[in-house]
Amino acid sequence: MRRYLVKKLLTLLILLFLVSIIVHSVLFILPGDPAHIMLGIDATPETLATLRAELGLDKSPWAQYTEWMGNLLTGRGSQSIHYQVPTHDLILPRLAVTGPLALLAMVLAVAISIPLGTYASCHQNRPGDVGVMFFTQLGLATPAFWLGILLILVFAVHWGVLPAGGFPGWSVDFWGSVKALLLPSFALGIIQASILTRVTRSSMLDVLREDYVRTARAKGLKERIVIYVHALRNALIPVLTILGLQLGQLIAGSIIIENVFFLPGLGRLVFLAVGMRDLPVVRDIVLFMAAAVVIINFIVDLAYGFLDPRIRLE
Amino acid sequence: MRAKELSKRLVGTWLVLLLAVSLIATGCPRPVEQVPEPEKAVPVRGGSLVVALPAEPPILDPTASPATAVDAVVYQNVIEGLLRVNREGEILPALATEWHVSPDGRVYTFHLRRGVKFHNGEPFNAQVAKWNIERAKMEGTKNPRPDQFRIIERIDTPDDYTLILTLEEPNALFLRWVAGEGHWGMLPMKGYEKAATEPIGTGPFKFVRWVRGDRVELTRFEGYWNPELPYLDKVTMRFIPDPAAQVAALKAGEVDVVAYLLAPELAVGLMDDERFNVLIGTSTTEVIVATNNKAEPFDCKLVRQAMAHAIDRQALIDMAQFGFGTPMGSHWQPGAPYYVDLTGIHPYNPERARELLAEAGYPDGFETTLQLPYAYAYTVSAGEVVADMLAKVGIDVEISLVDWGFWLERIFFGKEYELTIIGHAASWDIGIYANPDYYFQYDSQEFRDAYAKALKAPTEAERAKWFGRAQEIIARDAVNIFLYSAANITLSKAAVNGLWENYVTPMFDVTEVWWWSEYPRR
Repeated sequence: MRRYLVKKLLTLLILLFLVSIIVHSVLFILPGDPAHIMLGIDATPETLATLRAELGLDKSPWAQYTEWMGNLLTGRGSQSIHYQVPTHDLILPRLAVTGPLALLAMVLAVAISIPLGTYASCHQNRPGDVGVMFFTQLGLATPAFWLGILLILVFAVHWGVLPAGGFPGWSVDFWGSVKALLLPSFALGIIQASILTRVTRSSMLDVLREDYVRTARAKGLKERIVIYVHALRNALIPVLTILGLQLGQLIAGSIIIENVFFLPGLGRLVFLAVGMRDLPVVRDIVLFMAAAVVIINFIVDLAYGFLDPRIRLE
Repeated sequence: MRAKELSKRLVGTWLVLLLAVSLIATGCPRPVEQVPEPEKAVPVRGGSLVVALPAEPPILDPTASPATAVDAVVYQNVIEGLLRVNREGEILPALATEWHVSPDGRVYTFHLRRGVKFHNGEPFNAQVAKWNIERAKMEGTKNPRPDQFRIIERIDTPDDYTLILTLEEPNALFLRWVAGEGHWGMLPMKGYEKAATEPIGTGPFKFVRWVRGDRVELTRFEGYWNPELPYLDKVTMRFIPDPAAQVAALKAGEVDVVAYLLAPELAVGLMDDERFNVLIGTSTTEVIVATNNKAEPFDCKLVRQAMAHAIDRQALIDMAQFGFGTPMGSHWQPGAPYYVDLTGIHPYNPERARELLAEAGYPDGFETTLQLPYAYAYTVSAGEVVADMLAKVGIDVEISLVDWGFWLERIFFGKEYELTIIGHAASWDIGIYANPDYYFQYDSQEFRDAYAKALKAPTEAERAKWFGRAQEIIARDAVNIFLYSAANITLSKAAVNGLWENYVTPMFDVTEVWWWSEYPRR
C-alpha cells in the first residue's frame, strides 16, 4: 500500500510538472498580449510599457516560468493581471461554487442512472427498457446549454420556483445557494446520467447472464437480493471507470453551464481569464484541475478494491 | 419491487418535464399588470433596483482602468467629475457649478460647488480637484488617458472654490472630456488608495460590497449635494454576460433592468409584452469595415469607393441587427453636434461599384479576407452580410473568425490584415484618422489640417465647419466602409422610470431612476 501511494504521488508530481510546462508554453504561443487587452485600443506606448514592466511581461518566458514555480513552491502565489488580486483569492471562492455544482451533478447522475439502468436491464427489450433507452438517447443528444435555457424557461420564468441564475453566496443565504445550484447541476448531470444509464444497463446485462446469478436464483434468493447484492455490485466496476472519466468532462461542461446560469464559478473564471490572457489565473486553474483529476482517479482506483476485493493495489 | 417503483417515479419525472416543455411551447398567458399613465408621473422615492450588466469590471476605479465596464458601474453613480453630460449629450454642471473659457480658448475657470462631501466625510474643494489632475498627469500614472491631462500647462487655485486650468493650446474637445469620461472622476485625497476595490466618490450612491463574479451593491448616500436625488434606496449591478440569460433573468423577475442588450432579436420578442419596456436609443458606437489603406488593393481609393457603393446599409441593418441602428456615411454619430449626413456620397449602387473596380484595374474583382472578432457577435452577423454584398460586385471575401487577443495583437497593433469589422465605441473619436500609424494606416495631410483647425476653432460655427469638413474628407476618401451607428437597447420592467435611452458616454446612470408607487418595492 505504501509503495502504491509513493508511486501515485510521484506520478502526480511528474504529471503536474509536464502540465505546467505545457500550459505555460501554450499561453506564450497563443497570440494576444495581456497588456494590450487590458488597455484596449486607446493605449499609449508609454502606458503599455509601464504596465508590461509592472506585470513582469517584459521578462523572458523562462524567467516568468521559474518565477511562477518559485512563488508556487514558497506559497506566495501569483497575482491576477486582470483583477489585480492574488490568484488564490479568485480561485478558492469560485471553487466553493464549481465544486458543489460538479458534485451535485454527479450525485444526480448516479441517483438517476443506477436505478434506471438496473430497471432497463431487468426488462430488456420490453416497453420499459425501450422507453429508458429512448430518453437516454434524447439526453445524450441534448446540448447542456440548451437544456439549461429550457430549464430556466420552465422553472424560473414560467413557474418561478427556482432562480434563473446567479449565486447569493453560501454565507449570505445557504438554502438560496443550494436552490441556485439545482437547475445547473441538473442540466450538467443529465448527459452524464444518460451515459451512465447505458453503461449500467449493458454491464448489468452481462452480469445477469453469469452462472453465479443463475445459482443465486436457483437457491431461492429473492429477486431483489439477486439483483442488488449479487449482480449490481459486480456490474458497477465499469460504471465507476466511466464515472471517474466523466468528472473531467463535468469540469469542462461547467464552463458553458456557468455562463448560462451566470454562476461565479471556476469555469466562468477560466473562460474570462483565457479571453483576457490573464496568464497567472489560467496557469493556476489548469494546474489545479490537473491535480484534481489525478486525485479523483486515485480515489476511483481505491474504490475498485472496495467493490471487488480481488483487485489488489500493487 | 422497490427498484421498479423508483424507476417508475423517475420515468414519471421525465414525463412531467416533457409536459412542461410542451406547456411553454403553447405559451400559457399570464395576467397583465396595469401600468399607470405616464403623464401623471411624479417621481417616487424608495425601492431598490437590480440591473444586469454584460461585463464585470476588473477593478472599480475609473481613474486607473480604461475598461468601460468600470464606468458603467461607478461613473456618475458613485464617482463624479467637475462636469457631466445630460441625456442629449449637452454639458451640465456637476462638481463645478459654472465655468468660463477665455476668448483665446486656453484658460478654463471652474467655480466649484460648496459643501460637497465625499462618502468618507472628506470635503471636496479646489485643492482636491488640483490633486486629482496632478495625479493623472504624473509620470507612471495609471490613468488610461494621461494625454488628456498633460495638455494642461498650469493649475491655479486662487481660493478654495475656484480652479483655473491653462491649456498649452486651445482644444475644442476639452470640456467634452471633462464632462463625459470616467477617468476625470474626482477621488478623495485620503480614501483613494483602496478605490480599486472600495471606490469612494461624491456621487448619489455609496459603494457597499463587491461579490466578484456576481454583483456590486450600492446604497443611497444621505449626504449627496442634491437633496432631491437619488430616488432609489439601493442598487445592485449584476454581471450576466449571456444575452439569453439576461432576458431569462428579467422574465423571472430577478433583475429589473437589462443594460446594453447585444442581441437585438431578443428585444423584438419583448416588444409586445406589456410587462416590459424596450428602450431603443442611439449610441456612440460606429460600426465600420476597417480597411488597411496600405494593403493592396485597398491602397487604391477607387477600390475603397467601389466597396462603399457595394453595401446596402439599411438592408444590412435589417438583416444583421433586426432593424436597430442608423446608416452612416462617415465616422460621426448621427444626431450628435456637428454631424453632417454624408450617406449620399457613396449610396448603394452595385453597378457603379463594378465600374469603379474596372477603372481600378480589377474588372473581375479580387479575393480578400475579412477577419471578425467573434467575441463581438454583431461583427459576425454584419460580416456575413457584407461578404455577401461584396460578392455581388465580384469581390470574393473569405471570412475568418479571430479571438479578441489575436485581433488586438495582429490586427490592431500589428496592422496585419486587409478587412475587419469592429464598432468604435469612443465618442468624439474622429481624431484617430489623423494618426497615420493607426490600424487604418490612412495618411492625409488634408484631414490632419482640417482636424487641427476644428480643435483650435474659437467659435461654435467654426468648429461645426471644420468638424464637418473632416467628416467629409474621410467619407470621400472612403477610408473604411462606414456601416451603421449601433442602437443602444435597454430592457426593463414596465414600472421602472427614468432610465437613459441613449448611450451618450460610458456609464449607466441610475440617479434619476424610480419605481411607480403602485408596484411592490423590492
